[in-house]
Amino acid sequence: MSEHLEFNSDSENFAQKKQFQFRLFFAFGFVVLLFLFLIGRMLQLQWLEYDRYKGLADGNRISVEVLPPTRGKIYDRNHILLADNQPVYTLHLIREKMKNIDSTLQATQKILTNISAERLHNFFAKFKKGNRSRTYTLPFSLTEEQAAKFAVINHKHPGVTVDARLKRTYPHGAAAVHALGYVGRINAKELAKLNEKLYRGTDIMGKLGIEKYYESLLHGSPGLQQIETNARGRVIRKLETLPATTGQDIHLSIDIELQKYAESLMGKLRGSIVAIDPTNGEILAFVSMPTFDPNLFVDGIDQKSYDILRNDPNRPMFNRAIKGQYPPGSTIKPFVALGAIEQGFISPYKKISDPGYLEYKGHRYRDWKRKGHGIVDMNTAIVESCDTYFYKLSLDMGIDEIHDTMAPFGFGKASNIDIYGERIGILPSQAWKMAKKGKPWYRGETIISSIGQGYNLATPIQLARATAILANRGKIIVPHLYRNPKEQTFEQVEIKKIANWEKVIKSMQNVMHSKKGTARRYATNLPFKMAGKTGTAQVYSLNAGDYDAETIREKLRDHSLFVGFAPVNNPKIAIAVIAENAGSGSKIAAPIAVKLVSRYLESQLNNLKD
Amino acid sequence: MKIDIDQEQQVYRKNKSLLLCLHIDAWLLFGILLLLAASLAIVYSASGGDQAVMNRQAIRIGFALVLMVIFAQIPPHIIYIFTPWLFLMGILMLIGVLLFGEVGKGAQRWLNLGPIRFQPSELMKLALPITVAWLFAHSKFPPSLRRLLLGAFVIMITAGLIVVQPDLGTSLLIAMSGLFVLFFAGLPWKVIIASISATVLSAPVAWHFMHAYQKQRVMTFINPESDPLGSGYHIIQSKIAIGSGGIDGKGLLGSTQAHLDFLPESTTDFIFSVLAEEFGLIGVVILLFMYLLVIARGLYIASQAQDNFTRLIAASFMMTLFVYIFVNISMVSGLLPVVGLPLPLMSYGGSSLVSLMISFGILMSIHTHKKLLTD
Repeated sequence: MSEHLEFNSDSENFAQKKQFQFRLFFAFGFVVLLFLFLIGRMLQLQWLEYDRYKGLADGNRISVEVLPPTRGKIYDRNHILLADNQPVYTLHLIREKMKNIDSTLQATQKILTNISAERLHNFFAKFKKGNRSRTYTLPFSLTEEQAAKFAVINHKHPGVTVDARLKRTYPHGAAAVHALGYVGRINAKELAKLNEKLYRGTDIMGKLGIEKYYESLLHGSPGLQQIETNARGRVIRKLETLPATTGQDIHLSIDIELQKYAESLMGKLRGSIVAIDPTNGEILAFVSMPTFDPNLFVDGIDQKSYDILRNDPNRPMFNRAIKGQYPPGSTIKPFVALGAIEQGFISPYKKISDPGYLEYKGHRYRDWKRKGHGIVDMNTAIVESCDTYFYKLSLDMGIDEIHDTMAPFGFGKASNIDIYGERIGILPSQAWKMAKKGKPWYRGETIISSIGQGYNLATPIQLARATAILANRGKIIVPHLYRNPKEQTFEQVEIKKIANWEKVIKSMQNVMHSKKGTARRYATNLPFKMAGKTGTAQVYSLNAGDYDAETIREKLRDHSLFVGFAPVNNPKIAIAVIAENAGSGSKIAAPIAVKLVSRYLESQLNNLKD
Repeated sequence: MKIDIDQEQQVYRKNKSLLLCLHIDAWLLFGILLLLAASLAIVYSASGGDQAVMNRQAIRIGFALVLMVIFAQIPPHIIYIFTPWLFLMGILMLIGVLLFGEVGKGAQRWLNLGPIRFQPSELMKLALPITVAWLFAHSKFPPSLRRLLLGAFVIMITAGLIVVQPDLGTSLLIAMSGLFVLFFAGLPWKVIIASISATVLSAPVAWHFMHAYQKQRVMTFINPESDPLGSGYHIIQSKIAIGSGGIDGKGLLGSTQAHLDFLPESTTDFIFSVLAEEFGLIGVVILLFMYLLVIARGLYIASQAQDNFTRLIAASFMMTLFVYIFVNISMVSGLLPVVGLPLPLMSYGGSSLVSLMISFGILMSIHTHKKLLTD
């Protein structure tokens, strides 16, 4: 209560209140004066100058129309068109000018037989409640024939006009959709974030992939046009024009022929292929299987098709190349081996004996070969993919050393590819486990990490990039899809002894070309030397006992992996292949990679001849 | 005079009618409801007969009215107690906008608080005048120089934080609401005249610091024809709309300027032009009269208020309301540059309506929570 008493009027000075009230009167006088001033202004506009403004309003048929920009096209590296703009027809409707909306609905239903009656009804139901004087666009496109049919009966339907516009089309359909992305209608949430001025007259924008990432380049900027219309809104003549700026055309580094070939190699498999030019980081093929047709999304996808895509257990809309996080399995062995010999944990010539398992703290860590590989050195360990060798090595190195040796190759961090939504995988370390799981690291976990199992996860783009960096002898590239001739600067992985790198690469070459290599079957007749490493990643850990792929449900079968590059001494292509639940890496992923690499190098050779 | 704390309810006037029980001021409510009803009709017309738009506006109006009633229940001394915290919260939110604000149309004005997107400058429209009134609650008339400087400092901090968002228009209007408090608290006339002349003289300096889009607004204001395809176009079209309304207007839904899409933002900033076109000079005079009624009642409440704190708040709220009305109408009739400001109680939109109705709630609370002691 004391608060009230403090500003109780009892304590108030009467003169003070009077002075305040004088100021109130003064303020009120000010308000009245300025309101009179406003009324004066209205008298001027609405009474004195009424005739002039009345005339202007009646003759006010000069309006400003927006000219939407034409979206930039997208080409592949050989100037083959990947995203085009095709003229299509559509209907504009203005409710105020229409006589009978229902008859128009029936007429459009008769002509647009390819659109479901339900979707047309939905549009018209919304249209009937909308702004009477605004122009609404039918959200479906008409073929030339349909447009002609409507034009014939157009006179019966005032307020409806046939309009031609440009529609985004993807001539190669589902090919490379995960790189290209697609455009779609701008929704309310996106609209709030857009620069209104730039998007006047435009109702689509990039939603995914390159279309989204380079939206600002592709979009362009709208122009304006002053037009004079007659009393019924028909254009009489065009006055001033400020032309629209067409969006920039973009060339991708993708080779669409190679891309299609890669997709065909995957067939019905789920998985991903990423092929990179290691000299500059340009992505040559960017495959995520299965795919879907981006053309479905341009005019807004109908619910049924969308449900089919969404509910497909193979998840065609999931971009496996950047979002699929897989245990990398044995494909990380060359990186671990390189770190070990560079840091002096082991000599590449040191031989160890492999009984088929490593016993640690009473637990047997098995090699994939039950009988063991016998006496192995580093070369044999990579060529035959000996697990025991790496189990032993990892106990000497420790998880943090493995982390530090693999981190420069980009594991566990974004590759910075020019598409949004990339996942960063996991490159475990003691600090990582403490931060993420709140538990200390166990050495047993180091053992399984050394063969790319356990916590380890990597995306196909990360694996391809790491392989490219190895192929480059340490030159770090950033994978990208936009082929920008701008000069790049590259960072370099620290090299202690280049001979160590050559040693590991030689072992990877032996994987392909030596008698015991895990992928020897596919590379025998190659006219060039290729380096590679197979991987078979367990989806979940199987306890002791024989592995039988047939009896395990298909989804729990091993992922088949392969990384590699060629030619060994002058790498032109680095590749990562992952086939989900396809079984062993040497059987499925390796032959796909070899075929794709050969096709690319052949075409390069042919180009040189031409 | 001694007060028995146990008999608190007797401190307030015995309420008789239902409206008084609810702490509602009938005159104020009458004026506000008339204006809101007109608003619904004009918004419907300006949106081209869009049912959905009108429904949304009706929901907002209902929500804002509920808030007004709620705030009318809060006795002024409670607001007094919480004023410093309110101000601190407002300042922290403004800093929050600068650090994590969402960029909407080139300026960071929104703060994302989970499900709600919030414009802290909207809170400051209320918090700043209340804070400055709090500073002068116990001051003599005229106040000491030290107090005046403190008040000016508080205003400058707030306005400064909004200017850098950047939102020059809102910042100026919020500063204005604080300056009104200073004026009613007894800022000496000499200082008022001196600062007005200083402002006029410093205009060229301000020009130097303006953003390109702000400069362009001023330029097209001075000569609309210089940019007939851009913002000058809006002023020209708005003047045509108002002028062609004539004495008696074209009737509801009769606005050709709005319906043929000549008028920009016809449901928000330019709603006055639609009203003037459809209801003519008569409509405009009635509208201004209704506004005057509300303002006059508000100023009367200020004159009847029992202490410095409440009377300063009431007077400042009403004068700020007046400035909004004046600036908006001047802007659409080509007397002031276009600054993107809604017409109070008429324009389509939620956040400005909410803060305005809260201020009416506070005004009603001031008038109905009087102490018997002074009767």
